[in-house]
Amino acid sequence: MTEPEIKPDIMRISWGPQHPMSGQTRILLDVDGEKVHRIIADLGFTHRGIEKILENRTFLKGIIPIERMVMVDTANIGLGYVLAIEEALGVEVPERANWIRSMLCEMTRINSHLYAFGLQAEATGYFPAVFLWTTIDREVLLDLMEKLTGARWSYNFFLPGGVHHDLPEGFQEEVLEGVDYLRRRFQQYWDAMVENATFEMRCKGVAVLKKEDAIRLGATGPVLRGSGVDMDVRKDEPYAAYGDLDFKVITETAGDSMARLKVRFHEIEQSLNIIEQVANEIPGGPVKTRVPLFARAKPGEVFSRVETPRGEMGIHLFTDGGMNPYRVKINSPTLRNMYVFERLAELDEILVADLTVVINSIDPWYLDSDR
Amino acid sequence: MPEGAEDAFIAALKAAHPDLVEEAVILRQKRVSVVAKREGLLELARALRDEFGFVHPVSAGAVDYPKENRMQMIYYLMNPSSRFTLMLRVNLPRDDLVLPSMTQVWEAMSFHERETKEMFGIDFEGHPNLVPLLLPPDWRGGYPLRKDFKGEGAPT
Repeated sequence: MTEPEIKPDIMRISWGPQHPMSGQTRILLDVDGEKVHRIIADLGFTHRGIEKILENRTFLKGIIPIERMVMVDTANIGLGYVLAIEEALGVEVPERANWIRSMLCEMTRINSHLYAFGLQAEATGYFPAVFLWTTIDREVLLDLMEKLTGARWSYNFFLPGGVHHDLPEGFQEEVLEGVDYLRRRFQQYWDAMVENATFEMRCKGVAVLKKEDAIRLGATGPVLRGSGVDMDVRKDEPYAAYGDLDFKVITETAGDSMARLKVRFHEIEQSLNIIEQVANEIPGGPVKTRVPLFARAKPGEVFSRVETPRGEMGIHLFTDGGMNPYRVKINSPTLRNMYVFERLAELDEILVADLTVVINSIDPWYLDSDR
Repeated sequence: MPEGAEDAFIAALKAAHPDLVEEAVILRQKRVSVVAKREGLLELARALRDEFGFVHPVSAGAVDYPKENRMQMIYYLMNPSSRFTLMLRVNLPRDDLVLPSMTQVWEAMSFHERETKEMFGIDFEGHPNLVPLLLPPDWRGGYPLRKDFKGEGAPT
């Protein structure tokens, strides 16, 4: 990126991309003493051209690269593309497959939010122990996912027409045990993070994003809901089994870093409820309908939306009658939230010391914003 | 969410701005596509924001159709109360790729327009800082998401 000019009496700090807290991006900070005047995000360090890659692969083969966009959340990302393909091909999905999809999506949502907590605890510099806790607790879910899909991170489990295979025997009981364990653990996280005075001092009132600013700047996901807007694709346009499942859209009104963290906390509770409902009430039946390996979609376009842990992801799929997509436009949630992050320095006073807290409250995933 | 919000919106839009809209259709439930006339794009965008409540910008991107010698720019918008996705489109001939920047209406289109500029070569007049977003600053290999882009042997 070409750097914009620096105003007199302002110092510019280049932060990242090798900094342990910045992620794979570079952030330029114009500072006057401790106060940040301007934030400039320099993205693109992990740009792989996924949209172009997808144009050169059949619909089915595209599921593999698109899951590389967010490795902690491959289920939600993959589902967005699979839903688009299904709509383009006109495939019906059996009910049981939809329930399994919802369960796996909520598992990865918890997984992703746990990672966000761990990083937020690291960012406050107060107790790295929480990062270790969240990493250990993720194992409970990773083991379940491995049992279900055969892989811990990247499953390629959702296929056009359903899921790869049915639940293994005794899986529901194991899921319920895991849910019980995680519920107990979340009380500990809540006490250690939200109820903790030091943590509160670092996060409360930091980088306040007002409701109208959040809407105007195009924020999404927990960033938008933390500012009091109840937008959630799972409720607005139910996909998979979300129309049949009972859950609430979590909002907080404060709009600060703490509010965004609390949204994630309560979303995990909702996700656990969803997983429990699926394990108890999943309907029987087949889990996939057959779709030809080299299916051709008739010319046209479809636009699918899913709610990932970072916010709304849209896939705009254009087809021209061939075996490959004509064009795939991915509306990435992190890219939208990074713009909000850039503007935060103008909306509220941000200090250099708070910067790690602020950026982790956005929960960026640069492989998602760069694509 | 009110039922039939899409129909009501299209009727109201056609009644209020018949000379700015080329085409307005419902693709399916919660997906509305509006093709704007190129010269009236900025005016239509302002009307969508101020009169129809599309204050929440989602994204923007383009599609290349070399056979028809055109590109289509698409802005994805949302109204926080009716909550359907509006795709505001405008067609451009491939030899005249200039549009007014939507950052004058929705500030957050900034990143998306920067990306479209580097990937498709569409220019946005009035953008405050139209520098590459994802590609390296010394990139000279052409516009990667155009259909005639070849990964190898591109001019450097």
